[in-house]
Amino acid sequence: MTALELITLLSQAIYVVIFLFVGVRYLRAPTPAHLDMTVFFGILAFVVVEQRIATALGIVPPEWFTDTVIAAVIALPYILLRLVDDFTAVPRGVKRGAELLLIASIASAYVLPGPTLPPLYVLLIVGYIAGLSFYCGFRFFRAGLRAQGVTKRRMQAISLGTVLFALDILAAGIGGQMSEPWKTLLAAIGQVLGLAAAVSWFLGFAPPPILRRAWQAPALRQFLARAANLPRLPTTRDIVSELERGAAAATGSEARIGVWDDDILKIRFWPPSGEPTDVEPGRYFSGRAFEQQKTLFSAQPARDDPEAADTYRSANVGAIIATPITAGEKRLGVLVLYAVRPPIFAVSDAELSQLLADQAAVVLESRALIDHAARVRAREEATRLKEDFLSAAAHDLKTPLTTVVAQAQFLERKATRDPSAPSDLPGLQRIVREAQRLSALVTDLLDAARMEQGRLTSDREPVDLGALVSAVASRQRAGAHTVEVDVKGAVVGNYDGRRIEQLLENLIENANKYSPNATPVSVGVWQQDGEARIAVQDRGIGIPASDLPRIFERFSRASNVDDRRFHGMGLGLYICRGIVEEHGGRIWAESEIGKGSTFHVALPLSEERRLN
Amino acid sequence: MIETWAGSGGGADARGVRPAGGAGKAGERAGSRVLVVDDDPSILDTVTSILSGEGFQVMAAGGGREALTLLHTWHPTLVLLDMRMPVMDGWAVARAMQEGGSKVPIIVMTAAESAKRWADEIGAAGHLAKPFGLDELLECVEEHSGPRRAN
Repeated sequence: MTALELITLLSQAIYVVIFLFVGVRYLRAPTPAHLDMTVFFGILAFVVVEQRIATALGIVPPEWFTDTVIAAVIALPYILLRLVDDFTAVPRGVKRGAELLLIASIASAYVLPGPTLPPLYVLLIVGYIAGLSFYCGFRFFRAGLRAQGVTKRRMQAISLGTVLFALDILAAGIGGQMSEPWKTLLAAIGQVLGLAAAVSWFLGFAPPPILRRAWQAPALRQFLARAANLPRLPTTRDIVSELERGAAAATGSEARIGVWDDDILKIRFWPPSGEPTDVEPGRYFSGRAFEQQKTLFSAQPARDDPEAADTYRSANVGAIIATPITAGEKRLGVLVLYAVRPPIFAVSDAELSQLLADQAAVVLESRALIDHAARVRAREEATRLKEDFLSAAAHDLKTPLTTVVAQAQFLERKATRDPSAPSDLPGLQRIVREAQRLSALVTDLLDAARMEQGRLTSDREPVDLGALVSAVASRQRAGAHTVEVDVKGAVVGNYDGRRIEQLLENLIENANKYSPNATPVSVGVWQQDGEARIAVQDRGIGIPASDLPRIFERFSRASNVDDRRFHGMGLGLYICRGIVEEHGGRIWAESEIGKGSTFHVALPLSEERRLN
Repeated sequence: MIETWAGSGGGADARGVRPAGGAGKAGERAGSRVLVVDDDPSILDTVTSILSGEGFQVMAAGGGREALTLLHTWHPTLVLLDMRMPVMDGWAVARAMQEGGSKVPIIVMTAAESAKRWADEIGAAGHLAKPFGLDELLECVEEHSGPRRAN
């Protein structure tokens, strides 16, 4: 036996083995794709077996039989085209055209007389078969480009097999018309090509489970490796889209994950862009899989779920696997795998889908735990803040209260002992001063509490900021700092006048408080970019840059403030921020240590002002 | 050496206070030297004026460092100590006193809820929780300054 004969025998044996393999598959699962594969490899197997038997027995078959064999071979590329349609979509026009050419070719095979066909006719037939095969190879190649993971590998193998088949037909067809030694050489090349085509098809059309798993393994391993980090992504949506990407890569299909939302009692799907889609339990395959808590597979979703047939058709969904994502008793969502055509999936994909859904459940549940821990931490933080507040408030209220109570009792005792004794003026002054301090603290605390509820300000009325600033500045205690006011025109807005006055008082008092004596404080009022602007500038101690971001937070005081010289709970600027923000404005500060600070306020102007 | 206290003073500088007499135990009280330590000038003024009005010798310290200086130069028989103070707080003062072998009793003076616990922590003789009244202040000072005066 020559090497060529061995190759021929091998490739023919492979055709027969594949035929038996896909035939058994068809008997187990009679799907259109399995039928087409069985017919395709059945023809190939029949042709080679028939030739072997005829040669071995020395029989010359009758002409009708030879014509039928030729017709069957001519039908091969058409069945290939049907297979393309089983795995991806083929334009209707191409299908119809191929059918017409098929009928014409077969008819002519029967009509033409004699055991040998005219060369021109043979070349035409070879051209038809090779051309259609090349086209099919191209379609499988395109499908492979769009697919990923195991499906990409399968489409690449089928595409390669189909192109090799086309080349095989070309080699055999042309070789048959040539003389030696070309005839033998091309026949040998054709046999090698045929063997390669058979192997490629086998791997692509009917990959053995081991090979399928091997193709899936890298994507699956990558997915599982990445899963550990997923719960830490910023949002559940990010996690879901990463899980979808991983599931799609591992299965070689499209993957969507719907997350159960307890608030709306629906499963929410986030598309890569745009608005979410909510699915009720029991609707579509996703909702049914979620409700029944089992994996559902459909090779004909449009028929199995007529209610949503249009959705499946328009989305070009030919097969669905829907698997519930469940952690113990907790229903978290559903994983849906889509394919254009059913043969993209294998039976083992249901198990793979279960594995992916379980992994998704672990990730989503970890996320829920992280969220829960964050909520607990936030609650603890809120409690701690409240405790800080209570202890700060208690400390700051008790201190002046000590003076007021003890000093007043002492005055009372002195007066009881000796009613005619001169009054203790310093003692009385201390009581008055500390009572005022208490009163201011209580007011600030109540304001801060109102602010938490967002109801610091009340009715709005037109307020001229310039006039208000001048009034507040002129009220400053005599002997305090000079307040220079610079008002550029009338700046009128709709404000709560009393609160804006409080804001100005706070800012100007603050500027005075932290400035050495005799340095003036200047206040500017102007309009800029459709906003009312106020700036209060001092030449005082300044605020360290590290403290600037938090000076508007409650109980926050700059670190360079000497508590003994400057009383306060750190609520003044916090309340200022509340007043400004409730008016829809902004407040910020600029400062340089030792040179002073400038506090800026921007407030919205009234409508007619803005139009001017 | 000890500056005479005369009415209201500003700020929290250390000031000497002359016993004013008037009460029954004037003589005994005049022998008690009470050091008041607090960063709040108003509390400092009030407590020193009351105690001196009641016949004690009083010095005021606006912070931990001044308190330690006065402890060595003026030798008080009792220290009224605020706990929460900037720079050097009550705990640091108590520790420095212990390390220096001082046996002068301390009374913790604080607005915090944990006045008693803090007093135990630093081994203080007693505590005054702010806000305290006149009687509490006097009783407390009376109790702890009397018997140890000899020391």
